[in-house]
Amino acid sequence: MREITFAEALGEAILEEMEKDPAIFTYGEDIARQGGIFGAYKSLLGKFPDRIFDTPISEEVIYGSALGAALVGMRPIVEFHFADFLFTGIQSITLQIEKIRYMTGGQGKLRLLLRGPDGISNSAAAQHSECIETIFMHVPGIKVVIPSTPYDVKGLIKKALQEDDPVICFEHKMLYRMRGPVPEEDYTIPLGIAEVKREGNDVTVVTISRMVHESLKAAEELKKEGMSAEIIDLRTLVPWDRKTVIESVKKTNHLIVAHETWKRAGWGAEITSVVQEEAFDYLDAPIIRVGAKNVPMPFAANLQDFVTPNYKDVITAVKQILR
Amino acid sequence: MYEIKMPKFGLTMESGFIEKWFKKEGDMVKEGEPLLEVSSEKITNEVASPVSGILLKIIFQEQEEIKVGTVIALIGEEGEKLKEYQAKEEPKKSVVELEKEEISSTKIASPDTDRGRRRKASPLARKIAQEKNLDLSRIKGTGPDGRIEKCDILNFLSFASKEEELNIEKLSGLRRTIMERLSKSFHDAITLTNVTEIDFTELKKISKEQKVSVTSGLIFILARVLKELNKFNAHFNTEKKEYILFKNINIGIAVDTDKGLMVPVIREADKLKLKTINEQLKELVDKSRSGAISERDIKDSTFTITNLGMMRTDFFTPILNPPEVAILGVGRILKKPCIMEDDKIAIREMAYLSLSYDHRVIDGADAARFLDKIAQYIEIPNLE
Repeated sequence: MREITFAEALGEAILEEMEKDPAIFTYGEDIARQGGIFGAYKSLLGKFPDRIFDTPISEEVIYGSALGAALVGMRPIVEFHFADFLFTGIQSITLQIEKIRYMTGGQGKLRLLLRGPDGISNSAAAQHSECIETIFMHVPGIKVVIPSTPYDVKGLIKKALQEDDPVICFEHKMLYRMRGPVPEEDYTIPLGIAEVKREGNDVTVVTISRMVHESLKAAEELKKEGMSAEIIDLRTLVPWDRKTVIESVKKTNHLIVAHETWKRAGWGAEITSVVQEEAFDYLDAPIIRVGAKNVPMPFAANLQDFVTPNYKDVITAVKQILR
Repeated sequence: MYEIKMPKFGLTMESGFIEKWFKKEGDMVKEGEPLLEVSSEKITNEVASPVSGILLKIIFQEQEEIKVGTVIALIGEEGEKLKEYQAKEEPKKSVVELEKEEISSTKIASPDTDRGRRRKASPLARKIAQEKNLDLSRIKGTGPDGRIEKCDILNFLSFASKEEELNIEKLSGLRRTIMERLSKSFHDAITLTNVTEIDFTELKKISKEQKVSVTSGLIFILARVLKELNKFNAHFNTEKKEYILFKNINIGIAVDTDKGLMVPVIREADKLKLKTINEQLKELVDKSRSGAISERDIKDSTFTITNLGMMRTDFFTPILNPPEVAILGVGRILKKPCIMEDDKIAIREMAYLSLSYDHRVIDGADAARFLDKIAQYIEIPNLE
């Protein structure tokens, strides 16, 4: 199978769906002229010059207009440039976009995709490094997608563009250049289905995005010491695949949740809570969460490394849980 | 109040193993009535109560090995108050303070250190324990701060299932002595065995006429051979490298009892008549099997004979009874066709004799000569 980058796979997904659905159009900051901050839109402009355009720095307007367009039957794709900037337009998303379907008794379908980069990258400092997916998992009404591979981003974005509900997709900055096999034929990945990236017997590690790769690296190291970790990539946080996680915990009796977002009240807390509610009798040790330290991201590279969770933290957690 | 102490059966006895208590706390005992059974490294004996009264307290339980002279139980009069008592060997089982009401109702509370304290266990461990109907207080947790985890339960279960399948018994004092002596014999001595087939027809005929056992006849012959070949009637001290040759010929006879092998001794067998040997042998075997054997009956043997013929064993390689230097094994006497000196075939009563010897002090040729001599005496016996 051919191998393309995560950014290329994402561009392909949008292109293919735009070809199918004339209601799709996309806009945001620096996506048309620049092709997106990580180049995902480079292939689009020539094809659909009138369905892709740049906006001024005006988040509240961007999200508000997307809400309006979706309400009249369009399917806007909005790039949020950096996930951190969602905070500047959060009113439209959490007060309006997420609630329309409910407030209209299901009549007001809001077909809208919010997508863009998140995650810690090289000294991008506090306002360009946040993983805020938990906030959108917390507020009901929007589906949350976080792909970890080129294959997944294409399948999940295509599926998101066929949904009747608003979807938000976070793509880790460090993954855009990652290459991986992506089929040329049309495919989608259903939302809410996790992927067991690696089977194991001793401990379940539930993770997403960049931390999937860190966890796989950790599992490889742990294997040398005779510990067998099962790595589950949730792929979507709303809905999330309880069945796969709980079945795995019932098998391994140990759970670790590994995410890049802050440990305190991160989405891992939700997973651990549900697992203890539904599989308490299968736990042989307290669940451990791996996450970033509870501080804004430092600019200094050494401090960024100190705050960012990585495969070593996963190894430490596994050793602690298995002793 | 009377203190029952661990008795000393023989000079060498240092500790005794409590095999069985015949009475329980609170029971009446009469003077002379069996109180408990104790085994030493050599013998097992019943211990009779020296006084009449009530068994107030058993200080050491069955299957415990206790030094000679240690107080193991207390006997008192009915209603007598048990004062503070300090056991001398194991202080942890020491203080017993009982009021007389408590003695009659046997309300002796054991300290339950876990009572009122919740056992730490993982949810999974609790679930498995509940399914298997296990008491968590019986299980030791190896998790952080002693938390019981799945592996602890599984370990316990695998051990417990073994416990159910097997009947685990501690070795009794006698069995332990056998074990220790045989290990020592096996590891210290260099044991070889010579075997020869011997015609027992004549010896059997004579023993039948004289109404004695074939074994008695064999002991009679053996005693004479040992007198002639004195180097077999000896002990070898490995540590001191001393080879001790005895004038007295004391033949030990291995006797199979339900408590294990015992080796009572026929003393100065070379001076005894066949009838006397037969009588003594019968008496010693009876005493061994009934448990009435005394310390004196089983000591000072200089050579041992062991007979497995009655149990269909044809020949075997006996192991030395240390510090003796040789042992004679007797196999089954069986009718066989034999070629006689005149080349005619006859039916004869044949058996194998196996002579095991410590090759460090006895050469193979010596052993061959010994067996040859025995064969001559057995085949043409003179038991006068």
